[in-house]
Amino acid sequence: MRILLSWLRDFVEIQESPRDLADALTMAGMAVDTVEEADGDTLFEFDITSNRPDAMNHFGMAREVASIYRRPLRRPSSEFAEADILASSMASVEIANPKSCARYVGRVFTGVRVGPSPDWIRRRIELCGIRPINNLADLTNYALLEMGQPTHAFDLDKLAGRHIEVRTARPGESLVTLDGVLRELVAEDLVICDAEKPVALAGVMGGEATEITAETRNVLLEAAWFKPSTVRNTSRRLKLFSEASHRFERGADWDGTVWAADRIASLLGQTGPGAVLKGCIDCYPGSRNLPEIRLQSESIRRHLGVDLGGSEVESILLALGFRPVASDNGWIVPATSHRLDVEREIDLIEEIARIHGFEKIPATLPAVGIAPARTPKAAEDTRMRNAVSGLGYDETIGFSFSSSSESQRFGGSPEIALRNPISKLWDVMRTSAVPTMLRALEWNLKRNQPFVRLAEFGRVYQRTDAGFVEPKMLCLGASGTARPLCWSEPSRPFGFFELKADVAALLHPFDSAGLRFDSRNVPPYYRQGHAASARCDAGVLAHFGEIDPEITREQKIRQPVWVAEIFLDEVYQRGLRAPAHRRLARVPAVSRDFSLLVPESVAFERIIDTVGPMADLISLEPLEVFRGQNVPRGHYSLLLRASWQRLDESLTDEEVNSFAAELRSGLHARLGIVVRT
Amino acid sequence: MSIAEKTGRPIADLLREGDSAEDLYAGLRAQFEAELRDTRTPEHTRALRDRWLGRRSGLLTAANESWLKAAARELKPTVGKLQNQLKRDLEAALQNAMQGAVSEPRDEAGLDPTLPGPERTAGAVHPVRLALEEVLDIFRPLGYTVAEGPEIESFFYNFEALNFPSDHPAVDEMDTLFLAGKERALLRTHTSPCQIRIMEAESPPLRYVVHGKVYRNDTPDATHSPMFHQLEMFAVGADITFGDLRGTLEHFVRRFFGPSTRARFRPSYFPFTEPSAEVDITCPFCSGHGCRICKQTGYIEVLGCGMIDPNVLTNAGLDHERFQGFAAGFGLDRFAMLRYGIDDILQMYQGDTRFLRQFR
Ligand SMILES: [Zn+2]
Repeated sequence: MRILLSWLRDFVEIQESPRDLADALTMAGMAVDTVEEADGDTLFEFDITSNRPDAMNHFGMAREVASIYRRPLRRPSSEFAEADILASSMASVEIANPKSCARYVGRVFTGVRVGPSPDWIRRRIELCGIRPINNLADLTNYALLEMGQPTHAFDLDKLAGRHIEVRTARPGESLVTLDGVLRELVAEDLVICDAEKPVALAGVMGGEATEITAETRNVLLEAAWFKPSTVRNTSRRLKLFSEASHRFERGADWDGTVWAADRIASLLGQTGPGAVLKGCIDCYPGSRNLPEIRLQSESIRRHLGVDLGGSEVESILLALGFRPVASDNGWIVPATSHRLDVEREIDLIEEIARIHGFEKIPATLPAVGIAPARTPKAAEDTRMRNAVSGLGYDETIGFSFSSSSESQRFGGSPEIALRNPISKLWDVMRTSAVPTMLRALEWNLKRNQPFVRLAEFGRVYQRTDAGFVEPKMLCLGASGTARPLCWSEPSRPFGFFELKADVAALLHPFDSAGLRFDSRNVPPYYRQGHAASARCDAGVLAHFGEIDPEITREQKIRQPVWVAEIFLDEVYQRGLRAPAHRRLARVPAVSRDFSLLVPESVAFERIIDTVGPMADLISLEPLEVFRGQNVPRGHYSLLLRASWQRLDESLTDEEVNSFAAELRSGLHARLGIVVRT
Repeated sequence: MSIAEKTGRPIADLLREGDSAEDLYAGLRAQFEAELRDTRTPEHTRALRDRWLGRRSGLLTAANESWLKAAARELKPTVGKLQNQLKRDLEAALQNAMQGAVSEPRDEAGLDPTLPGPERTAGAVHPVRLALEEVLDIFRPLGYTVAEGPEIESFFYNFEALNFPSDHPAVDEMDTLFLAGKERALLRTHTSPCQIRIMEAESPPLRYVVHGKVYRNDTPDATHSPMFHQLEMFAVGADITFGDLRGTLEHFVRRFFGPSTRARFRPSYFPFTEPSAEVDITCPFCSGHGCRICKQTGYIEVLGCGMIDPNVLTNAGLDHERFQGFAAGFGLDRFAMLRYGIDDILQMYQGDTRFLRQFR
């Protein structure tokens, strides 16, 4: 919104420099974007919030200036001589839909001559960004910029029956608007009609057929109040936005209608010949009731934390155009039609605070007074985040969007589509964090990063019968070398067991008794045989492994890529392991190594399960796993170290020998393992 | 006895002479390392490889025959492990040497301590998370509880309960992303719905910080992202005032942006607060003198705030005659950008390790 300094000065005295004025207005809520010199004048560009249509014009802005500096405000002159003929004898107005059109004021001008406006009018509207057209159109725009009331001039002789009816559109009706476009109308559109047909879209744009032309002699000037939502719906449906619709949809002033019509009448003589017929045609079905607001001094203090004093409060309210009447402990303030945004006590308190100055309200700190509650799972989350960072994973954040095809491949739950997506690649909410991670890995591999470790803490989105759920995920991504390259050690590629070690390290702080790893039911986007799941009881804590090379190849990734999905809700609900001390043994452990020939069907974990419960056995470690050469097909060779220990006494050789024998026979009898030594 | 002789003798003989299997292999290793130290050229290295690992007459191949294969049954696992371990290490060392890696200097001068060791730096914490942690560290001691909420929200929580008139331009200004389907669900455009959810569930006094992802239908560019992070703090009680809001936020911006930072409260409009204010801080880049980043104004707009609108309290089931409160919200991404000098918001979401590792 552009405002000219010279125009403001028509209504209020201003001695301040433009810069100081801009600062003062900004600090009262009228944000000035730019101040520039133009044609010997100063032009302010304002960014006015949508609740303040009253300030989107020069007089309204002058009222703000007058309030800030508490100076008198002069109203624009609206004096003129009327002809003897009654306007109502030349035209008639009828409102069929008073809910959407609360008031319709018409003035009739006769014998006008259409031509250019005087320079001073052209200059002002042009500086404010509106192109001069002819004296009548320019006058309506001038009044709009000056007082904020949109008006429209019809060629009265082109209005069938010289009659105006305000109603909603009928089926099949259409209208060519001033911009030359044929608009098909719908039943929700409010239209201005003559005796036969629609001639204007109410509050949005006039029609071409009744437009002012060089031949126009008689004019009907419309100054009306249209309901914001009605104007907004039509304007949005037709994607037709005008200065008028901008104001109506934010709320105009119905009492400003007569005033605006009179202001234009008073200026008509300065733009050329023409008579103003007697009286306004004022169609005002049922006047509007505005509330009386009770304002208590105590409420002001309670909200702002400071007592401003009665005279300051009254002076501000008067300056803003309110009429406060003193009453018990405060005032009764009737709401006014020029400030429809002010209807409650708190609205008045805001006005008072704003004009008094936010900066003058003393800054205080509330007493702490309350103990903060524990955030659920905060300790678990902190522990997990620290561990992830400790393992060297760089934290990334990815977009929550995904595409339909990705969601089918990685999903596993019904997709959640967006009605107005940003792009086709982002048309659903992600049901998996894996594609997001693959994109980040791809980004880095394409930039030749030899060592990539990424971790994302984020959500995935699922639709369930009960509504939407947003499980929390930790997704790890790894590719390249197992360690950052260093001169002192040979480089080797990242592999499954590095990833498993990381997953196990992350799960370790949590109470995960019964944690198992297996490769049953690993999602199909992992390379089968190179991926696993971590389970605890019935819950899946994680899937992890190498991504199917078929998939990564589509992204032009030509090296193995590893991903882990850790289901944080499932992990966190187990809680952190409670630390507890166990007495340390006083004597060393005794170890024996066993060379085993194990059928491929027997996983390492089964060996643990089978002999693990032996008395005094404290550990079973795999030292070597070996296939091929002398190892028969269908078997693998395992070098296993078993260690035994008692807390307070040494084990004898005989005891250890008998343990070893028990272990051998157990493995052989129960798992078919050949013990070679 | 030469090393070649030694590896040719049966292990039982050697053990009888008093060495353990471990000693025997340690001896081989020491010998190999000594020889490796003396290699200077790739040809030397290749010759060394043949001498030790050659398939017919390599020293280690010989040890495999006369030590491992000939070992007594109970000794085999141990010897096998030593043999394999040494073989692996030799292979790695030779490969390393072939690649021209420089081995450690072994003369009197000792190690070169200026060479780097293998990198073990902890992974980066994302700048948005860094900023969040800093903010939470400021608010927690003031009695604020940290909370999150759902990102998929209803029209009611995102707009209606927050006093957005349903046919008002303010709804359009939020550029909402809606979900398909009959639920009229949407991606929250701000974290303010959490205010309602918390006020419905708890009774005052309340002090909360809520944070999380929010979404807008914005075309991505250097300053806009369709997804970003917001943080919102609010307090509700019998006597929370606008002065308290000013004091709290002044404390906050001084802590976050530096002790000389000044906050300026400018009246503004948000449907869910009244009075509403936007807070500008003195530009941290030029200390308020004017620069490119603050467009010569000396100020940077950083957050929106206000007293919670009585309608919002009522919508959340609180009596606005008894309770009042304040709320303030801002973009964590923007805070992180200002704080760490990041000029493109989209970099935050690419996962580029070169970008992220700056925050290690
Ligand atoms: Zn600056």
